[in-house]
Amino acid sequence: MTRDWWKHLLLILGVIVVIAPFYMMVSYSFKSPGEIDRGEGGFFGRQELMVDERCVVRRDPSRADITAAAPRFPGQNDRDIRDALVAEAETDCSMRPVVFNYTMAFTEAPLLRYLMNGIIVTASIFLIQVVVALPAAYALAKLKFWGRDAVFALVLFCLLIPVHAIALPLYILLAKLGLTNTYAALVVPWTISVFGIFLMRQFFMTVPDDLIDAARMDGMSEFAIVWRVMLPTAIPALLAFAIFSIVAHWNDYFWPRIVVTGNRDLFTPPLGLREFKGGGDGSFFGPMMATATVIVTPLIVAFMLAQRRFIEGITLSGMK
Amino acid sequence: MAGLSIKNINKRFGETEVLKGVSLDIADGEFVSLVGPSGCGKSTLLRIIAGLEEQTSGDVQIGGASVAGQRAADRNLSMVFQSYALYPHLSVGENIAVPLRMRRMNTLQRLPLLGGVMPGKTRRAEEIAKEVTHAAEILEIAHLLDRKPGQLSGGQRQRVALGRALVRDPAAFLLDEPLSNLDAKLRVQTRAEIAQLHRQLKATFVYVTHDQVEAMTMSDRIAVMMGGRILQCAAPETVYDDPDRIEVAEFIGSPKINLLPVELSETGQVHLLGEPLSLTTGRRTKAVGSLGLRPEALFLTDSNAPLRGQIVHTENLGSELFVQVEVNGLGSRITFRTTPDKRASLAQGATVGLDFDADKALIFDAIGARVRDTHSTTTSKTEVA
Repeated sequence: MTRDWWKHLLLILGVIVVIAPFYMMVSYSFKSPGEIDRGEGGFFGRQELMVDERCVVRRDPSRADITAAAPRFPGQNDRDIRDALVAEAETDCSMRPVVFNYTMAFTEAPLLRYLMNGIIVTASIFLIQVVVALPAAYALAKLKFWGRDAVFALVLFCLLIPVHAIALPLYILLAKLGLTNTYAALVVPWTISVFGIFLMRQFFMTVPDDLIDAARMDGMSEFAIVWRVMLPTAIPALLAFAIFSIVAHWNDYFWPRIVVTGNRDLFTPPLGLREFKGGGDGSFFGPMMATATVIVTPLIVAFMLAQRRFIEGITLSGMK
Repeated sequence: MAGLSIKNINKRFGETEVLKGVSLDIADGEFVSLVGPSGCGKSTLLRIIAGLEEQTSGDVQIGGASVAGQRAADRNLSMVFQSYALYPHLSVGENIAVPLRMRRMNTLQRLPLLGGVMPGKTRRAEEIAKEVTHAAEILEIAHLLDRKPGQLSGGQRQRVALGRALVRDPAAFLLDEPLSNLDAKLRVQTRAEIAQLHRQLKATFVYVTHDQVEAMTMSDRIAVMMGGRILQCAAPETVYDDPDRIEVAEFIGSPKINLLPVELSETGQVHLLGEPLSLTTGRRTKAVGSLGLRPEALFLTDSNAPLRGQIVHTENLGSELFVQVEVNGLGSRITFRTTPDKRASLAQGATVGLDFDADKALIFDAIGARVRDTHSTTTSKTEVA
């Protein structure tokens, strides 16, 4: 134990580096703008009542409001009535910073819509990836056909191509097809995952041939073998792939930013963060961090649920 | 049920010729073992019969009809694999039901959730469940139907694999070394059970094994394969007592047959170590050959022994005793069988004389073919205590 202290120290440092941004994100999502600017208030902030200036401005009383409110304030002149109304608005618009941040996150931008888009896009991508990758991986691992090794070499080659290198041609292709600003533009380029094919192929190599022959004897077609035999045995590997795929596309900022140019209805969650980007009146870090927290929470929950099987899937080499 | 007929099958994997013109007829209800050392092509032959592998040339007929170009699934054969090949995600009952589900239900009825509401599904499912239970009862695994294969012992998995094979009443059963993953004791027990199952089902069985004991104990006929050919296909006792070739004689029998170099003279006289034996053959040419003697064909003798040597090792199996003797002038060991009560006189290093039963002597020529029509020239000798 004592001999290994430096390993633990190293790990702890690593943990701090990884955790720190998350800590900041969650902490900022609790604090008032003043506390964020001044860097005070600890993790939760003091949670003192704060006044939402923009809310007060929106409720600035007009001439008609003052006339309408006159019966409530008998014997006072217009100036006093106006002051009283502003004071009322200030009380109504004051709230705890945490409430302010999270309400802003959901009201300032249609965050629920963005989350919904995120689910539609990542789920479609993952499902189509599986539909493509499993049969391909099965063929590459278990069927004998002319050119199989060449095809597998191509798969390996494609693993080496970075997304950004082909982003422009892809964009032009989609634009010429008139597909920009559609769900298709967000989904289609990712449907064939060479990483998925590679990962599943490696897993299928470990499945005994006898099992496939038994399925053939039992009357299954090759497609039935893929879905009824290979898929259930490959669940751990598939789960590992699911995490890679879902995390990558849920968090993707680059591609949606390129193909979704005008239509805010198609924004994915990371694009939603842009709503709070600093404009003329400065950045809204509190709501921005609240949005970020809302965006990553589903992933963290999913990972926690799948953690055991995920690690199982990554350490495939250890299983038989 | 149906007979199988294999006609002149050739199989090449690239340059290597695995099967060289194999022909075999298997009658309806017969139990035939394909036995041979590993790499002799017996598993390949079985896979060709099953339709999992395609022959380079030749024809397979099931029940008189050629199955050329038919998928494995359409041949109505059942196969039991060495590794059992059970579906790990399905329970025992579901595993056994798979062949029936695939044949009797259509694609829609097999759908995971939607299938439940398809017309006719319930009736079929009940039928299948009944047959699965029946098969499980035959194999005494009815209490395991809800378990997953991972929770079963090797022997139980083996029964489930058998259950999956027999549930659908196939034309023939193909078994590919089904006992080789079991421990020795269970193997003996399961051996008897498979033979029993064969009698009960009266089905055609083709059984691949490298273990000659399994082949000997279960089969109606044994096909001994070596180097891509069937060397001999006959009843177990014929293969043992009357082998056609030296390779067959060597492969069948444990301990192995003793082979001694002999010379055949023009008169047909057989000479061992230069001395004439009381044995002649019908062959009238001078040649060298081998004399094959099973351990039980040899017996101890005092007088006039054609073989003399020192005892180098004894193995007492309780019911019988195998003694290895280093033969003088031969430089090789031979093994003979006797009863354990002789042990006292068979100390290590003792010199003993051995004679053999001329009727049981097997003569092979230089290329390993059997030389038949051998005759004993003297009356048989009596065994000396």
